[in-house]
Amino acid sequence: MMPAALYRSARLLAGALFSLLVLSGCASMVPQTMALRDAWPEGVPQRYEMAGVPFFPQEDYQCGPAALATAMVSAGVKVTPEELVKHVYIPDRQGSLQAEMLAAPRQYGLVGYQLAPSYDDLLREVAAGNPVVILQDIGVGPLVKWHYAVVVGFDYPAGELYLRSGQKQREAMPFTYLEHTWKKSAQWAIVALPPGRIPVTATEPAYTAAVAAMERVGDKGAVTKAYAATLERWPGNLGASVGLANQYYAKGDLEQAEAVLRRASDKHPNSVVLLNNLAQTVSDQGRDAEALTLIEKAGTPEPPFAEAVAETRALIQKRLAGGARK
Amino acid sequence: MKSSLKRIVCNFLVIAMAMLPFQSGQAGMIGSDAVIASAASQADRNTVVNFLNRTDTAAQLVSLGVDANSAKSRVASMTDAEVSQLAGKINSLPVGASGLGTLVVIGLIVWAVWYFAFRR
Repeated sequence: MMPAALYRSARLLAGALFSLLVLSGCASMVPQTMALRDAWPEGVPQRYEMAGVPFFPQEDYQCGPAALATAMVSAGVKVTPEELVKHVYIPDRQGSLQAEMLAAPRQYGLVGYQLAPSYDDLLREVAAGNPVVILQDIGVGPLVKWHYAVVVGFDYPAGELYLRSGQKQREAMPFTYLEHTWKKSAQWAIVALPPGRIPVTATEPAYTAAVAAMERVGDKGAVTKAYAATLERWPGNLGASVGLANQYYAKGDLEQAEAVLRRASDKHPNSVVLLNNLAQTVSDQGRDAEALTLIEKAGTPEPPFAEAVAETRALIQKRLAGGARK
Repeated sequence: MKSSLKRIVCNFLVIAMAMLPFQSGQAGMIGSDAVIASAASQADRNTVVNFLNRTDTAAQLVSLGVDANSAKSRVASMTDAEVSQLAGKINSLPVGASGLGTLVVIGLIVWAVWYFAFRR
């Protein structure tokens, strides 16, 4: 097809010109690739490839569903690009928004996590066996053309990375050219991983937030597993403790909920949220006097917790006074 | 006579209504900005704003061809912060697509450059 062939050669030309420019000293155009020369990320092998990552050739405009399906199937979820169209594709814009690419896996019990904008982190995740979905601008010159692709490997001595991209099962792309195409999206990159498999570059606050986001729509089993894994990785994490205890509480497992909350209170003795939730859990198990002590410790906090604490206190006092246990 | 009077009155009413100050509600309905302003605390205001952002975002998705049920579940999967970043910007934010459309445009440009610069 004439236009496609022209485009491919235009792109090859762009890539070749680009490499020439870099060789001729315009290293400032690809600072991160240059930085890799001086300091290859520690512990990361020079060559790595995940051959088993599936390939879904994309339909017109639907690189979003195709790329996301690639990552999600690798994470163990049986899904096809066709199914994902209704989750991430916008017909009248003929494409997929970044925010929706990050959010869609949550409905399938996966944790979507956005990486830091760093070549090092991209390589670390890939080397850890996690396919990374990136947003590139593969336009030529001033024409912007956004495209999602999945990084599945790299060979640094050969100077290239390997992507599942568009119609190509294994697109080899020079490090310089990938950096160039990736820059326009501010190096946007995400992984979609099963609960319990924490991205190797994950930070505590960002990952806790990612799990909390999944809690909105993810199935309870996945959410419980994700919070438990977060807590194991970062013991004493307040958000994960509250989240995990809530999961146990919702299931009716009050003893477990209390155990999680008590462990957390060792590290956060004055947390209003912990005190409130612990008081509620303890009261539900019939120990109202103990619960009252806990809720009194919470005092009269600022909003947004004021209402919840007041309600809990009122409930405990009602129970102590011999009211219905509801 | 009567019909021309009616016409004059109607025209006057149409113009008068067009000049009314903008209200985000319809006649008899309280506008959303009034609801937001009256919310007792910042937390309540946030709840209302978040709710409005969600309904706006879902409506925008529907207007762009997404079916209503999918739009609802897609918005539900996103956090309040994510939805507020999308609200009102769905038409302008980047969408990954890489369809053939732009290929044809680029092909045409390349061909045009070749034709006018070299062939003629």
